[in-house]
Amino acid sequence: MLFSQVRGRPVVASAGAAQLGVVTSLTVDTASGRVGHVRVRGGRLRRETVLAWDALESLGPDVVLVRSTAAPEPVPPRHDILGSRVLTEAGNERGTVLDVVFEPRTGRILTVVTTLDEWPPDRLLGLGDHALVVRAG
Amino acid sequence: MDELMAARSLTTRPVVTLAGDAVAQVKDTVFDTAASRITGFALSGRGLLSGPLQDGLPWTAVYSLGHDAVMIRDRRALASTAVLAREEPLRGRVLGARVLTETGTDIGRVLDVVVEGGTSGRVVGFRVAAAKQFATGPKRHRRRVYVPRGESLTVQGRALVLPADAVHRVTDDPTAFAALADGGAGRRKGPLP
Repeated sequence: MLFSQVRGRPVVASAGAAQLGVVTSLTVDTASGRVGHVRVRGGRLRRETVLAWDALESLGPDVVLVRSTAAPEPVPPRHDILGSRVLTEAGNERGTVLDVVFEPRTGRILTVVTTLDEWPPDRLLGLGDHALVVRAG
Repeated sequence: MDELMAARSLTTRPVVTLAGDAVAQVKDTVFDTAASRITGFALSGRGLLSGPLQDGLPWTAVYSLGHDAVMIRDRRALASTAVLAREEPLRGRVLGARVLTETGTDIGRVLDVVVEGGTSGRVVGFRVAAAKQFATGPKRHRRRVYVPRGESLTVQGRALVLPADAVHRVTDDPTAFAALADGGAGRRKGPLP
């Protein structure tokens, strides 16, 4: 599944089936190579809330079911990987991130697709406010 | 195969941690007193309204000097500028210094310092506003030549003194300069600034 496909998908609490909002983005935990958190926008004030990946029950084709809506600690910084600049550890730019392929059941990242390359998750070093840093060759 | 770059082009290059955060940008490059290598960077904050930072970045803490960013491991790499204060900031002394040979030939004045990127931080040569006798070719191009630093450069006052045979290694062709800077071996280099 792609990050861009999940964006805009409605998020529903499994108990009560109340809609919490829609997915705005997924965050990447570069250390483990998995999806870290899900950002959700919704409610009456259209506020953005963060859910841990573990709080998800399932990521279906139509809705995202969540088990608990407790905010994780600590709240991760908001860096959207889509559109992020790609820097090698040597300090050279290598395009921007187009999309991320991941496994919807486990949250494991399979590939990060950029304008120039495709990177496996073990090449990712960090995602910050400036760039996604990757280990090149 | 590290890229050659002009020290003046390093100004405003972001300083980025391996975690991807930009913590500062380069304000000035600091060289050692013999102009042989980079010893660090003076920094300023990112953005229009941010002024100079108290922190500097010693070369030992640089992970890699790249084409688009200066990479560091983490924020702890930044050190107090007092560590760097004894050395020569680029704007202060090296720029505008006269380049001479031991026999007294005036090659010109330093416009810019060419350094090697990556992890070495070595000064490979100088871009020089040439004195009249080295100025060849069409007029609008002729004032700018490259001189490899070589191994035996001495600093006397405000002048950089090269061995007498340095006059044969003066070139206005960046590609030829890259080969010369490499000892003539012709190892593949990145594009010049």
